[in-house]
Amino acid sequence: MKIQYQQHTKDISQYSELSLIQRSDKTDVAFVAYGLFVLSLVFISYLLGLFGWLPFDPDDMDMDLMMALPGASGHILGTDFLGRDILTRLILGIQAYFLPGLLAIVVALGLGTFMGVLSGYRGGKAEAVITYINNVMDSLPRLVLILLVVAAFKPDIYIIMLVVGLTNAPAVASLVKDKITFLKQKNFLEASVALGLSTRTIIVKHILWYNCRTLLIIQATLGMAEAILIETSLSYLGFGVQEPIPSWGNMIQAGANYMMRGDFWPSTAPALAILFTVLGFHLLGDGLNNILEGKRRK
Amino acid sequence: MKASAIKPITLVLARELTTTISLLLGVSVIAFLIILASPGDPFAQLFGGFSGTESERLALYESLGIPTTWYGQYFSWLGNVVQGDLGTSIRSGQPVLGEVASAGVNTLYLTVGALIVTLAIATPIAIYTAIRENSRLTLTYNLFAYMISAIPVFWLGYLGIYLSTHLFGFFPLGLGSSDTGNVAKFLLPIFILGLGSGLISEVVRHMREQVSRVMNEEYIRTARAKGAVVWKHAFKEGFLIPVTEIMAIKMPFIIGGAIIIEQVFNWPGMGRMAWQAAQDRDFPVILGITLAAAVLVRLSSLVHKLVFVSVNPRASHL
Repeated sequence: MKIQYQQHTKDISQYSELSLIQRSDKTDVAFVAYGLFVLSLVFISYLLGLFGWLPFDPDDMDMDLMMALPGASGHILGTDFLGRDILTRLILGIQAYFLPGLLAIVVALGLGTFMGVLSGYRGGKAEAVITYINNVMDSLPRLVLILLVVAAFKPDIYIIMLVVGLTNAPAVASLVKDKITFLKQKNFLEASVALGLSTRTIIVKHILWYNCRTLLIIQATLGMAEAILIETSLSYLGFGVQEPIPSWGNMIQAGANYMMRGDFWPSTAPALAILFTVLGFHLLGDGLNNILEGKRRK
Repeated sequence: MKASAIKPITLVLARELTTTISLLLGVSVIAFLIILASPGDPFAQLFGGFSGTESERLALYESLGIPTTWYGQYFSWLGNVVQGDLGTSIRSGQPVLGEVASAGVNTLYLTVGALIVTLAIATPIAIYTAIRENSRLTLTYNLFAYMISAIPVFWLGYLGIYLSTHLFGFFPLGLGSSDTGNVAKFLLPIFILGLGSGLISEVVRHMREQVSRVMNEEYIRTARAKGAVVWKHAFKEGFLIPVTEIMAIKMPFIIGGAIIIEQVFNWPGMGRMAWQAAQDRDFPVILGITLAAAVLVRLSSLVHKLVFVSVNPRASHL
């Protein structure tokens, strides 16, 4: 027992001299690095698409060069079934989910934080109401709710992502609430009340900024991964972006028609894009969670 | 009868049923309000090219016995729903309840089968990585679980169709085809959904936490010291509870995946029906499916609570 104790104290003294990256698990650091790489790639591609700096015209058909594999005559990722450059269309496809995804994240985090603070800090009836709303939202499969909204409004992707954000808000709220319930047992909150700090300062600075920001960042990355999956699923189902405007979902759907005769690439390229992007956001979220929240004292 | 004389399980059942009903009411209000807020009168679909003044329209409502306030319409709709009348499909003219029920059974096959596949893949990974914590294989398994969860399930579906056709020589027609003899054809969509629904990494993570927690409990150490079969003791808390918990929490998610897989494989379930209804703005059908999906989710949650209490009776007093 004694040896273990000494080992433990040594570890902690070691930790204090190490930077956050050095004392973290190497795997988590690699996960976060890959996630940040994907994040910057998505952001740069979004800007490229926004300003129109693309390698080819996305609608330019080359009938002599259909189903080309990567590398064929300047097409880095090949061409699709109409001879259109796949890389260009992948870059443009980010337009379909980037801003709508951000909207979903902002709504979920903003509303969720508000509800979480309301139920966690005040407690009482607000807590009961928010738990109830959370449970109601959990009872509704997301995609069924979205199809219901589609049936009612025939909305564009921004409205759908607004719905996604609204439905995610209760989950964020319950995370924030749990965190605040945990923080309320700590002395520093009691001290800040005793020192006469205003409730606003306590909530915004000492609870949200110092203690909830990592949690919110992690939720944002996971929210982006979810937004991508929902957008691509909807485009696949035909309720999202319509051809010829590219989206990763409708690219897979259109390319899949040619898969049966062995032309995998036009539908596999966007599938891989989804795979590596969603993987990046998941690994970023989990890596950050382990580094900043979870395993710090292991 | 004193409260202590009632079996805890009865109390829990009563409590959970009350929760379930109140949550389903919440779902019904939300679903109804969304439909009510939709542009254009829902009845406009039914009345077709009716043109008249507002008062004539209201008179028409009254002659048809339709309440004119939103809460009146909600309660009359709810009253019908409780009696099992979900209305008539605008598209097919058939009662919604029967259509949703027959499609729901097909979706149930798909979701339950997919859950079994997911568990069959995730459980060995979770248990292996929980017991041998520092194994190098842990990272490989983790990465596998992450990657398989990030693959878009519809692409995986097409890949599965291609492979089954070209390598194994059959085309997966799905349910509802005339050729119902070959079971393998029905297994492909189930397998694809279980593999690609994105659940595997979450099941692995949750189960690994639970298994490694349980394996460090003192009663497991005691069992080991006695030379008893450790798995017999760890089974309830380390397997049964995490499995039902995941099933309950992730039911909405897997229904979402089922909607997409039904589209890929032409599986005549609720998802395809919901897709069709969303195309046609068939409000009674989409409302019925929303309620049916919510009922499925609440039922799986109920099963989880009952298993949890029967394994751990102390929880019934919470």
